[in-house]
Amino acid sequence: MKYFNIVAAACLSVASAAGAETVGPNGEAATASTAVQVSDAHIAALKAGNHSAALLWHDQSDFVNAVTAGASDEFERLGIKVVATASAGFDAAKQRSDIETAMAKQPSIILSLPLDPVTSAAAFEEAKENGVALSFLSNVPAGYSHPADYAAIVTDDLFQMGKQAADALAASMGGSGTVGWIYHDADYYVTNQRDNAFKTTIESDYPNIEIVAEQGISDPARAEEIANAMLLRNPDLGGIFVTWAGPAEGVLAALRANGNDNTKIVTLDLSEPIALDMVKGGNVVAIVADEAYELGRAMAASAALDLIGEEVPAFVVAPAITVTADNVQDGWQKSLRVDAPASLSK
Amino acid sequence: MTRVSSRLQGLDFQQAVVYFGFLAIFLFFAVTLYDDGFLTQRNLTNIVLQTAPATIMAVGLVFALSAGEIDLSFGSIVAVSALSCAVALQSFPMPVGVLVGLGVGVAIGAFNGVLVAYLKLPSFLVTLATMGLFAGIARSMTNLRSVPVMNDTFTGLFGSGKLFTVPSLVIWTCLGVGIGHLIYRHTRFGAHVLATGDNPRAAQVSGIKVARVRLYVLMICGGCAGLAGLLYAGRLQAAKYTLGESDLMTVIAAVIVGGTALNGGKGSVVGALLGSLLMGMLNNGLILMNLKVSDQMIVRGLIILIAVAVSLRDTSR
Repeated sequence: MKYFNIVAAACLSVASAAGAETVGPNGEAATASTAVQVSDAHIAALKAGNHSAALLWHDQSDFVNAVTAGASDEFERLGIKVVATASAGFDAAKQRSDIETAMAKQPSIILSLPLDPVTSAAAFEEAKENGVALSFLSNVPAGYSHPADYAAIVTDDLFQMGKQAADALAASMGGSGTVGWIYHDADYYVTNQRDNAFKTTIESDYPNIEIVAEQGISDPARAEEIANAMLLRNPDLGGIFVTWAGPAEGVLAALRANGNDNTKIVTLDLSEPIALDMVKGGNVVAIVADEAYELGRAMAASAALDLIGEEVPAFVVAPAITVTADNVQDGWQKSLRVDAPASLSK
Repeated sequence: MTRVSSRLQGLDFQQAVVYFGFLAIFLFFAVTLYDDGFLTQRNLTNIVLQTAPATIMAVGLVFALSAGEIDLSFGSIVAVSALSCAVALQSFPMPVGVLVGLGVGVAIGAFNGVLVAYLKLPSFLVTLATMGLFAGIARSMTNLRSVPVMNDTFTGLFGSGKLFTVPSLVIWTCLGVGIGHLIYRHTRFGAHVLATGDNPRAAQVSGIKVARVRLYVLMICGGCAGLAGLLYAGRLQAAKYTLGESDLMTVIAAVIVGGTALNGGKGSVVGALLGSLLMGMLNNGLILMNLKVSDQMIVRGLIILIAVAVSLRDTSR
């Protein structure tokens, strides 16, 4: 639970599983992303404004590609030109450099995921002072207030992602047994929230399931050895939660190497090798994903609305999807707006 | 004319690569991004500001490589120094914070140096180990938290401030490169560094205290990383355990492209500055060209590969 304190300036999830929901930094209620729409009348005003946007992401991944696609499609519909795209590779200093560089093109809008509330406060200052419409993904710089400083925070329903992972694992275990919890051992808001939501849900909603092993991971490459150690100490583990799909691949490798068909895995974010194991009836029982394309669309729409002086909800949330072997095709399309890899066709 | 031709004849091919490469890439971006703000004073200043910490690290690495050593731990030193300074600034006045940050850098450099110079351990392995060691310490010292820096004097001096109209980071870059160049080219110690890297046995026989040189170059490298940590902390008004983590390859590439030999005995502080600016200019220009991130990485990788291959070609003969 220590990570909840670390990101006090960022958004919070109410840490009680029953009726829990993701809420904003100052307790703002979440608004569904589908409620953030740009009308035809607004589009005319936006097209007349000759606006431009910069997409300054934290990293590169399928998720970021889908967010970018959602944002780019929406910007194209609104007549807003994307003039710069960058990835900070989780480096706070590079994120600041990327913002400064993009500012040379004088964008009207910046979409970004601030790497952490403290370091990003100064990084976005110049953009903020120049009146750039800022739409943030999942995180917000410390001291920034809505609507003066930014258009909106758009995020996954982080609590639901963790909760749905817990529900899926619990269902696969018949509501009882022991669980290993492999969480992201870093000060990173998104993963911290999801991981803790899983733990909270298991502890409060499933009295017959006990988390008997907890292990942080900062380097996904070490997932296999971490899982091996966990299985050595707890050979009867009924299930393992893995913070995201990258390290889950290592955990899966460890289970296979041990000839373990019994321990179930749930993880977050789509990955072809993980989904392949799932559709083949292996250890993986569910993957909880977000609607990444919708996140990008909502970020673009909220920034555009802010640009023309329309009121935008401070805190916008896109839903989570539990993907299982039965809905993998639909889940992939819904999350990333691309067809599921051919290997996943049954 | 004779002087010009004799200067051209004396021009080191390896070190000239960075000058021509820098000029060619600058001209390319200047032409293709003329309407996209590349040539604005603001953007060009930004490139210098963004590369200031890497440039300072590169100066330190020139000394280490020239003496035949390498320091892989400087990225971790950046984080530990920045965090130490930021924590100290919460309780003590600015000079104490600065001394703590720099002192930590020099001390870690000395730790590396003692292991390399007096226990005769290879610097590659020592600093590979201490890179992990101090990365772990950086993570644990504030329990992964970012530490805000709210001392305005500090952030002005090491980050966003200006002296008259010159940004402080530009001044630090000039000071770092100027002093580094002076020591490297115009002092007995600089000559000893080169002699040690060129042929340590011959240097020892000629009376140079090779072990002490090795200790000092790694201390310089640590001190430069410490200063880079302060610049990051000033620029971001915060310190975080990830600072410096991604700089290792960029700084090594900048130094090699700048004409410093990987196996010692040869180098250039000014070349390292240009190498660092070249890296920053590539990052800047490729973003302004609105390339996809993956395309930016491919183009940047190819250009660095060509530059390193061309600059190393001469030394391999």
